[in-house]
Amino acid sequence: MIECRVLSARRGRFRLADVTFTVPTGQYGVVIGPAGSGKTTLLETIAGVIPAESGSLWLHSVECTRQAPEARGAGLVYQHAFLFPHLSVAANIAYGAETPELAESVARRFGADALTNRPVHALSGGERQLVALARAFARRPQVVLLDEPFSALDPRRRTLVRREVRALHRAWGVTTLQVTHDFTEAGLLGDVAILLDGGRALQSGTPDELFRRPASPYIAEFLGAENVLAGTVQVLAEQAPDWLDGEPSPIAHGNHAIEFTTGPLTLYTVGDFPAGAGYAVIRAEEIVLSLDPPSGSARNRFRGLITEVATVGALTRVTLEVEGVPLVSSLTTRSAKEFAFRAGMPVTASFKAMAVHLC
Amino acid sequence: MTGQTTGSTRGSQPWVAVIAALASSLLLLFLVVPIGQLIGAGGAEGVRQFSRDAELRNALLLTALTATTATLFGVLGGTPLAYLLARREFRGRAVLSAMLDLPMLIPHPVAGIALLLMLGRESTVGGALLAAGLRVVGTPLGIVAAMLFVAAPLFISGAREAFAKVDPRFEAVARTLGDTPQRAFLRVTLPLSRRGLVASAVVMWARAVSEFGAIVVLTYNPKVASVLSYDRLTSFGLREALPVAAVLALLALIPLTALRTLRGADDGAAP
Repeated sequence: MIECRVLSARRGRFRLADVTFTVPTGQYGVVIGPAGSGKTTLLETIAGVIPAESGSLWLHSVECTRQAPEARGAGLVYQHAFLFPHLSVAANIAYGAETPELAESVARRFGADALTNRPVHALSGGERQLVALARAFARRPQVVLLDEPFSALDPRRRTLVRREVRALHRAWGVTTLQVTHDFTEAGLLGDVAILLDGGRALQSGTPDELFRRPASPYIAEFLGAENVLAGTVQVLAEQAPDWLDGEPSPIAHGNHAIEFTTGPLTLYTVGDFPAGAGYAVIRAEEIVLSLDPPSGSARNRFRGLITEVATVGALTRVTLEVEGVPLVSSLTTRSAKEFAFRAGMPVTASFKAMAVHLC
Repeated sequence: MTGQTTGSTRGSQPWVAVIAALASSLLLLFLVVPIGQLIGAGGAEGVRQFSRDAELRNALLLTALTATTATLFGVLGGTPLAYLLARREFRGRAVLSAMLDLPMLIPHPVAGIALLLMLGRESTVGGALLAAGLRVVGTPLGIVAAMLFVAAPLFISGAREAFAKVDPRFEAVARTLGDTPQRAFLRVTLPLSRRGLVASAVVMWARAVSEFGAIVVLTYNPKVASVLSYDRLTSFGLREALPVAAVLALLALIPLTALRTLRGADDGAAP
């Protein structure tokens, strides 16, 4: 388990402030955030390389806020590997290894065994990362802290190494915390995601929670939510409205039916958000496009004109304008081709009330 | 207009190059010719005299021994100090750095007088050492003290730079791999800064060998080589001083070669 309780630390002028989150034992945590948000400083503080100013840190239920790095049982892999240049690759892997056999076995798993005869300075960035991963895992740590450990690997090797890290993490029950810029990687690997910005943990939860229920419009935009609309919230009624038909009713859980007005558009959703100013976040993949005109009573259904169609591999992003408000929908390229979507075409965009998240 | 300006700039470039080349050549000649002349005029005689001049042999031996002892003390005390200055941020670090540079900046006879004040028989420290049977002034110990005082800052400054070049994240990784701070220092920091440390020790040794001003105040006798060459010049004239001075200049080639070898190895190393 990695548990930070209002943890603060300082590196030069940068301050990591009041960071609180938990990665349960044996789970995989991912830290995401813009450059300079304090991701590396957070890992270094957990490793004990940077002393904590205040708050507390618990690793596997033991408080180690003031413990020396060597006593914490936490392995640290930097993005730039920091292999010891005066030692051979084999000596690097064996540096803190639990046993020589384990060093060899871990080196084999990461494909670093083929590099042992080469000098460190002759390795590529990706090869260095393989050796650094093997070096950290050869110690058989209880906690592993990985700072963008796959960034220099080619896509094929990246998939293989990611799989090995995940396999070791599961087999040994290693609690892992990884910094990544790759949201797909965060979704693939993470049981827990922590969003860091300006030295503060803005939100933590499962990656799905972070992506679907961002705590602020800033987080939504950072996580790539295409539709973030400013507007006004009005609480409608205590009981479930008719437009929730066919959807599991969340009203019973203390939520209300809500009307959200953004410019000329009115959206409907459910939540416990107070009346007043707010933001509505709708992920592009939640917006369904059709060629049919909207039916009379349907909610969250709008007629608009396509302004742009952009295809990136298997996915296509369609931007449309609804009464001056831009909306972005994401669908498979196959579907987009079937409908022959193109700029200037009139379409109907619809989404469920539960797809509208207020923050 | 623009064309004229460009033309004028281009036209002035050869003159700048000529002036720069001339100034550099003159300075180079000024630095090299006196040493070359000295070795040329007295080198052969100095080497011949070395076998029959016991005073010269003793002075050179004393110089080498005291300079080596001072360097050892400098390395022992200076290494942790340099590491502290390179790695830790603390209040008064800038003041401490300035104080450590001071012995390099003050005139060396003044350094000798300062040491005399601290280590002379009238002083508390000097008196205590004398009571313990250690006489500093007028003994090889005084020579070591003078050399240490003027040359140790050079080692500390070089060693600090060598430590600063080693990214602290190497140590961080070593710590997470189970090393205590001392073990990480010995296994990682020291090997990575070794060349810089050795080069700084060589510079300190060379500076100690060439010291005159502070030594002459603390310990005129027994004579180190620099004092002997001065003594022969003032007592017997240039002719007698020349062979001693030439041997000292030749001796300076040893640390110079060592430094060049170290830097050559550095240049060949991978980044």
